[in-house]
This record gives sequence, C-alpha cells and structure tokens, in this order.
Amino acid sequence: MKIVIIGGGAAGVGAAGAAKGVDPSAQTIVYTEFEDVAYSPCGIPFVHGKEIESFDKLFLATKEQYVEQGIDVHYEMTVEAIDTKRRTVKVSSEGEIGYDRLVIATGWNYDVPDIEGVDLEGIYKVKNIQSAREWDKYLDTVKSAVVVECGAIAVEMVSALVHRGIKTTVVEPGPWPMAEVVDPDIIEPVRKDWEDAGVEMMWGHRVTAFGGEGTLSHVETTAGRIPAQLAVMGTRKVPNNSLAQAAGIQLGSTGGIIIDAHGRTSVPDVFAAGDCAEIPHGVTNVPLQGLSGSHAYAQGKVAGINAAGGDREYQPVYVPWAMLAGEWMIGGISFGETTATAVGVDYVCGVTTGITRARYYPGVRPITVKLLADPKTRRLIGAQIVGGEGVKERADFLGVVARAGISIDDLATMENVYSPAIGALNEPIAIAAQAAVQKF
Amino acid sequence: MSFPRWLRSNSEHYLLCDAQNRMARQMGFNSPTGPHGLKDRFWRQIFVPIYRFLPWGLRRVVIQALPGSHRRPWPKRNPISSVP
Repeated sequence: MKIVIIGGGAAGVGAAGAAKGVDPSAQTIVYTEFEDVAYSPCGIPFVHGKEIESFDKLFLATKEQYVEQGIDVHYEMTVEAIDTKRRTVKVSSEGEIGYDRLVIATGWNYDVPDIEGVDLEGIYKVKNIQSAREWDKYLDTVKSAVVVECGAIAVEMVSALVHRGIKTTVVEPGPWPMAEVVDPDIIEPVRKDWEDAGVEMMWGHRVTAFGGEGTLSHVETTAGRIPAQLAVMGTRKVPNNSLAQAAGIQLGSTGGIIIDAHGRTSVPDVFAAGDCAEIPHGVTNVPLQGLSGSHAYAQGKVAGINAAGGDREYQPVYVPWAMLAGEWMIGGISFGETTATAVGVDYVCGVTTGITRARYYPGVRPITVKLLADPKTRRLIGAQIVGGEGVKERADFLGVVARAGISIDDLATMENVYSPAIGALNEPIAIAAQAAVQKF
Repeated sequence: MSFPRWLRSNSEHYLLCDAQNRMARQMGFNSPTGPHGLKDRFWRQIFVPIYRFLPWGLRRVVIQALPGSHRRPWPKRNPISSVP
C-alpha cells in the first residue's frame, strides 16, 4: 500500500502518523512545498510578541523523528497536478509518482484583496515559520504597522505588535474585532484594552491600496492615508484547492473539498482533511470550512486511518474555540448571538459575569459566559465566553454538551468543582443557564 | 467562482452585516456602515429581508440543495427545532 499525502500541516502529518498506526507496512509519503512540517503556525504571533522565546519551540517533532516513524517527508516539493484516473501525482523535480490512496491536506491561503501594491515588500502574511524568522528581525526596525482586517490571527498579531512597542492601526470593514464570529459585548474588553494601549482602530473602513517604492511606506484606506512600514494581512482563510479543482474533485459552497465522515472525496481512493475540506455543522448541517488546528489534526487522523484500510468516522462539528487576546481569553462554541441571528436560528440567551477563583484568592479574574439555547428543545446551541482564565476548558465542555444534546435545564442544575485556588463557589456556566431558563 | 460559492459568499456576508447591525443597535455598539452602490443595496435591501421572511423549512431546502459535504453520509446529530 502506497499512501501519498499532499501537505505537511496538521492534517497532513496527522494523516501520515495515523496511516502508519493502522498499517505499519504502508509506504507513507508526505509532500510539502515548505522547509518544515508539523510546527504550530498558531504560535508564530506569540514569538513575535516575545511571549515565546524562539521559533524552535513551535516544532512538534524533529525531521529525524519522522524518519524513525517511517514517514517519508519530501520537503520543498510542489505537487503540480493530480491524475485521479492514472492514480498519479506530478511532483516538481520528481516527475510522476503513483499512489494507491491519496490524502489531500493542502490547507488554506489568505484571501488577499485584489488592490494596488499588494505585492510590495513589507506586507506580511503570517503562516510560514521560516519566513516568520525573517519577519521577526524586520519587526525590530518597524515603528508603525497597519493590520488589514481583524480575524483571529490579526487579533493575536495586534497584541504582538503592541508588546513590541510598534504603533498599530487596525483597518477592518466590520464594526468590531472578529465581527464574523464574536458578539460585540464579548469582544468589548479586548477592544477597550487596545484603546488603552494606543491602538488606532478604524472600524467600517477598508484598505484600498498599498503604496511605496518597492517597499511599503503607506496604506491607503477609505478613511485616508496611513504611514506604515509594515502591513499584516488579517483577512479570512480560504481553502487552497486549485490542485483538487483542476483534478475534477468536487468542491462545496465554501470552496472546500466535499467529503463524507470518512474523509472520502468524490473520487475513489482520494481523501481530504483540514482547512481544504468542509465539514457539516452539528446544529444546522450547513458545511463549514476553515476551523482550528485541532480540527485539522483530528480530520487528518480520520483520513489517514481510512486511507490505510481502517474505519473511523469524523463527526459534524460544534466548533469549540478559544484564544488569547491581549490580557483576555475569548472563546465559545457554535453560535453567538450575531451568527445565530445571521443564519436565522431562534434562541433564548442567558448571560452572567462571574469569577474564576474564590473572590479572595490571588489571581482571581472576571469571566462572562453567554449561553444560547433552542427555544423548543431547550438544548444548548451556542456559547461565547470572555475572561481572564478558564475559557478553553469551558468551551471544550460546552462543545460536548451541545453535541450530546444536553438541555439548558441540566446546565442550570449542574454540579461544579469548588476549590478557592481554581474555581469559585458559583460556576458561571450554571448561573448563565439559570438566567436563560428564567426567559423561557 | 462557481455559482454556489458566489451565492454562499455573498449571502453569508450580507446576512452577517445585517445581524451585526441588529446586535450593535441592541447592545449599543458601533453599527456597520450603510450600503454602498447597487450590489450592496440589492443584497441588504432585497435579499436579506426575503431570507429573513422565509420559513426555516424553505431556507433549509435551498441550503440542502447547494453542493457540499452535508449531502454526503455523516453521523446524524440532534437537530434544533427550527432545523427540522
């Protein structure tokens, strides 16, 4: 059995390891156009922000460890075409390579606006670790930067730029940070912190051009010109699917590859996983694309297991997520009020602000929990959280609650841990659920 | 860009703009900017009100009709009441 994997990100490496786990005799080849595989690109902003001392810390394993596992990684090799009839891929400098099973894990690209000057030097797309090393040196010379749109990576980069003392301006067509995902009341503490830190914020405005002689010197926006030595691209993630599309593999309405729960595409023996694929939402069944690294890794494992002859299903997603935004953690699952309203899903909402530890214990922080329940079934369908700590664990827990169909009434009467150093007497999830129950 | 992707991309964007506007008004935050040009006006003033007027059943028919992973075999999950 020869399994070829295109892409060395979380999904590709997850697929390779899982395939070897099922069939150690399988020849497993990973092609990546980059110099490295299996590092945490999500960690790059934290190295820029000096919270993490070195890019080397972001690697999950060494190249030698992949060799020891029997995974044959071909670095800096571009797969130029897939021929699904002949079961071959065309690889730069290697020619045509046959496969028995193919896993496409080509990931994502930034949705780069088609505007003047977009190819100037000084425009940074945070993604590749080797280029991040070079950009990190450049950041030492930068006095002012513009963040172009305010998605999740942009939010982390704003914090990094502020930590480095770089004057930062955010230009975002939406009305608040991460407005495609987060409710305004949840993100408000982050926005307020940015304001206090001197970040210029231009909500409701767009970048119309990048200017400079070879290198960026200013950014044109709908609100005027901003001098800047650096522009950080914070636009949305779009699937990197030109290869799959050219091979005739079906794409969905998100632009992601259509797959089933086993990761199978529309073509026999071709699997897909990660940000290049789309997955149905557990609440609405609407397909989603561009989830987190943990989703990509888990999907990769499913595709790898099945490609090697095993049998594992991936599940529709409830998308627990969380991230650090300056001094705050934000997170949630499925819907917030904004996204539920956009889709047209009815909900009953309960919100509370509590504390993360006993009120007298050092390090206690506020935490706001918002829960959304279906008005008829009373099941949890969404949540958003902002707090000083404990957001990730609550998001993970609420993701399982939504998946299991647990009701808001059960959450309102949940038992919780009380221990002064790690948890308050009243669990904010229970209080928010009680607030929601009062509204039925 | 394929028609389903064009439809999804535009409908998602403008439904989100409308929802952001509603949330901003309700919670007292910045509202998104108003419509610019004919395309903006069509999606905001014609498509969004029609979408919001349609019952879930009809919306679901349209969503289900679009090509996507949701039409392939997946484990069944607990649907919400408004998504029959």
